[in-house]
Amino acid sequence: MSIRPEVFQAIALLGLASLACRLSGFLLMRYVSITPRVDAWLRAIPIALVGAILGPVAVNGGPPEWLGLIAAMGLMYVTANDFVSTLGACAVVALTRAALA
Amino acid sequence: MQAPTFTWHGVLDGAHKGILIAPTLIAFGLGVGLLAASKGLTVAEIALMSAWVYAGGAQMATLQVWAEPLPVFALVLTVLAMNARYVLLSASLRPYFGTLPFWQIYPGLAIFGDGNWMLQMREVTEGRRPDAGFLLGSGLVMILPWTGSTVVGHLFGQILSDPRRFGIDFLLAAFFAVMAVGFLRAARSIAPLLVAVAVAVLVQKLVPGPWYLFAGALAGSLAGAVRVDKA
Repeated sequence: MSIRPEVFQAIALLGLASLACRLSGFLLMRYVSITPRVDAWLRAIPIALVGAILGPVAVNGGPPEWLGLIAAMGLMYVTANDFVSTLGACAVVALTRAALA
Repeated sequence: MQAPTFTWHGVLDGAHKGILIAPTLIAFGLGVGLLAASKGLTVAEIALMSAWVYAGGAQMATLQVWAEPLPVFALVLTVLAMNARYVLLSASLRPYFGTLPFWQIYPGLAIFGDGNWMLQMREVTEGRRPDAGFLLGSGLVMILPWTGSTVVGHLFGQILSDPRRFGIDFLLAAFFAVMAVGFLRAARSIAPLLVAVAVAVLVQKLVPGPWYLFAGALAGSLAGAVRVDKA
């Protein structure tokens, strides 16, 4: 239940690196004027991050993951409820894995 | 666009909507706590790491390279690679919150993660007034269960026998797919999505480590800037 000095130092540095990533984008954009082109770039970031996270999931996954992604989006279209859709998609993945096992 | 604000109502609203993400974080946090125990970190050390570094993917990745003596340089590089995407996410908040005094926006910025950033972006893309309280409130209901669950995972790792069996490993992907629905409706084209998928998949194959997230998000978002609507 103690913290070793060398571990403390390492974690302190890692936290600073993490914090720098979180703050620097907002800070730097202070010196960039939001032209229509910059605005279009910033607006495209959410959907691009979705693609960067889900693309590899879909490519590396199999039928359970594919059905899970379809279920997540389908449920969201129908119910418009984040919670139901997210958990429902996980249930689809679990059931498909059980069925294929 | 409406002028940004910071309200306590926003903090509560953010906490309410952000609770959705907690189960994902807890499942992931239990796994990270278990990994930390296997790498010889004490409970106090993993608690400190979770609260201060506070990044699930980055902690998971650093614990993979964790060794004695500590490879500090490699550990810092790993955090930077995993969290480079936060530079983009944080930049994207500027147009909405740029005019706020720093003490209203920076606390929320210091503890944001993918999940609550997504929720915040959906609030503003759906036309609600940018409220930095929402970012802070939704961040608080993430960092607390996160830190707690890594401690619990360290102490009782065995309770999570096989997360795959219950689809818990899919929670984050499911959440992002759900979020995608709103962003696809608001998107002017799907080029950013397609470019991001292609670049992320390619970079993941070619470059070791988690750089694919940053590369995919950067390339995809730049694709969105190629064509600009004339106002």
